[in-house]
Amino acid sequence: MKGLRLKYRTKEAIVGYLFAAPVIVSVLVFAIYPIFAAFYYSLTDYQPLEARKFMYVVDPYGALELHTGILREEAGNYTLDELLANFDPIQFVQLDLGVNLDDTEKELVKRYFDSASLISDFREGKLPERLKVSEFMKRYMRAYGHKFSKYVPKFVGLQNFEDIFSDKLFYTSFWNAFLYSLVVVPIQTLLAIILAVAANSKIKGVGFFKAVFFLPAITSSAALSMVFMLLYSKPGVINKILVAIFGKFGFQPIDYLNEPSIALFAIMAMNIWSTAGYFMVTFLAGLQDIPSSIYEAAKIDGANKFQMFWKITMPLLRPQIVFVSIMGTIGCMQVFDQIYFLVRNLRNITISYYIYKNAFEYGKMGYASALAVILFAVILILSLIQRKLIKEQY
Amino acid sequence: MSVRPSSWPVIVSYLILIIYTIATFFPFSWAILISLTPITYFDDDGNERGVNIFDWPPKLKLFPKPSAFGASLTLRNYKLIFEVVPLYRRWLLNTVIYAGILTIGNVILNSLGGYAFARLNFPLKNFWFTLFLALMMVPGQVTLIPQYNMLVRFGLINTYAGLFLPKLTSIFGLFMMRQFFLNFPKELEEAARIDGFGILRTYFRIVLPNALPAISALSIYTFLGAWNDFQWPLIIMSSKENYTLTLGLNFFRSSYYTYWQYMMAASIFMTIPMIIIFLSFQKYFVESGKAVAIKG
Repeated sequence: MKGLRLKYRTKEAIVGYLFAAPVIVSVLVFAIYPIFAAFYYSLTDYQPLEARKFMYVVDPYGALELHTGILREEAGNYTLDELLANFDPIQFVQLDLGVNLDDTEKELVKRYFDSASLISDFREGKLPERLKVSEFMKRYMRAYGHKFSKYVPKFVGLQNFEDIFSDKLFYTSFWNAFLYSLVVVPIQTLLAIILAVAANSKIKGVGFFKAVFFLPAITSSAALSMVFMLLYSKPGVINKILVAIFGKFGFQPIDYLNEPSIALFAIMAMNIWSTAGYFMVTFLAGLQDIPSSIYEAAKIDGANKFQMFWKITMPLLRPQIVFVSIMGTIGCMQVFDQIYFLVRNLRNITISYYIYKNAFEYGKMGYASALAVILFAVILILSLIQRKLIKEQY
Repeated sequence: MSVRPSSWPVIVSYLILIIYTIATFFPFSWAILISLTPITYFDDDGNERGVNIFDWPPKLKLFPKPSAFGASLTLRNYKLIFEVVPLYRRWLLNTVIYAGILTIGNVILNSLGGYAFARLNFPLKNFWFTLFLALMMVPGQVTLIPQYNMLVRFGLINTYAGLFLPKLTSIFGLFMMRQFFLNFPKELEEAARIDGFGILRTYFRIVLPNALPAISALSIYTFLGAWNDFQWPLIIMSSKENYTLTLGLNFFRSSYYTYWQYMMAASIFMTIPMIIIFLSFQKYFVESGKAVAIKG
């Protein structure tokens, strides 16, 4: 009997790992490794173009024809020495194969490149037609061929972080993300609570309102950005309505997205509009859990509606408020899509957009990783504050 | 007619809700209106004229024919976006495939994992669980660059595989399924075991068929997220044939920025499937909203 139980346990462990394996492997490969890699990159000058230089597929015949000025069919007509006399390995690798070499790599090529075997393969027609730079170098370096297989970024220590702290755009983009959270989170939370309280006050058609308020949340931020690009344009409908109402007080149409002092606030307004309804559902669920007897007791004690709201509803909604505001803050600190679509001025960019720009437009992945590490630290601190707040609650 | 004092809060509530309903509908309605407005129209003399969608007032008319800005409304723009950008069909297909694969992958893998973490005992279970919990705090920007470089190394940039491989499981989805299985009546499984069912048979025959609500919620959540995803496809997909609909919108924005009608048609077009899904499975959306609240 004991043996059988043990057997079941072993079986359970095996099945358990089998079931959990895809998630565990995926997390190890696509989350844990990248986190360590990001920290490592942040201490290097990782350059994506350099990283790829050994991966390009090259055509050795074409490159040699270019270098020697001799067609492959005619190469057999020359002796090995004749061909070697006109062969310069560094120039060949750098210009004809098109692989950018740094000083150490040049030195290695100079010393260890096996020109003779390359040229004799060329003469005898034994060169591979197409192959990766890394494979090519492995084949034709007498030693240190592996140095050309994997890109190792230069270690720069804390240089990236030093650069960041004197980078004006870092401060601008970080402050913008912070300001974004600071404005959006409280307003969207309060708005969501107001909507939830309104929907919870014995009215008809709650389902309808809930469905309507969910609409922006299920629409992609890309599509919403396009719609607001139209609404916010200078001849757009928001200006038309505002002019119709306030025109006689001297209101002039505003180019919301091109005006650096206004653009970010315009995007914030759109964000509040698109998420308040979604969070309203969270609060409504919380409100429905508050027993009505509490309100009845308060009524007997002579409390008015406002007192009930501030003294009963708000404190009891605290778990939801903490949750929504922290989720909102984390989301806002990372806002990207709307910024990508709508921001036209570097003064209005946020940190995640600046990270993207550095990594994928400027090709400065080391620097971008350092920025990401800083963002990580800030979000970690915010999450710890969240934990503290929740602990205080219980 | 006098209003009883106790009905004031109800009236104020209705007022707030109706105002916000209008505020929510307005941007959508305007976008729909523009998407239905033709680029050109023929005036009474038979001359073709451009429609100015920035005219004010918009001259909205419902009779005899619905019209705005002096031109009859039409669904033609929705057809035209497929003709103006022949790749649009491809982008739609790409998006369906991306969202579909992600949904299938997430449902299968997260429900397996969720069950393991909820019900089965295996070594280091708590370690993995705590690790996953901690990982939820890591912002996407941190893992983005190394993920990209890894895919470059494997030659998966600008491929479907590169797009969906890193997203086939999600920690959020795992926790969602785990939470469901934790609340699942244990008696059912125990009864199955007494009947001689093994763990695998219990899972596939008894547990999974009863997990439909959680699976639906996870499917919708994943499908929606993938459909609306922008940053990841933006980084991974470089050639136009591989774009998804959100990248397509970005293309419209940069190449057809004066054709607001097309841009609005493309925006509304990609929203319609989500609205249909939302209306058909509304209760699961609300459930996921509640689950989120409980987590806090």
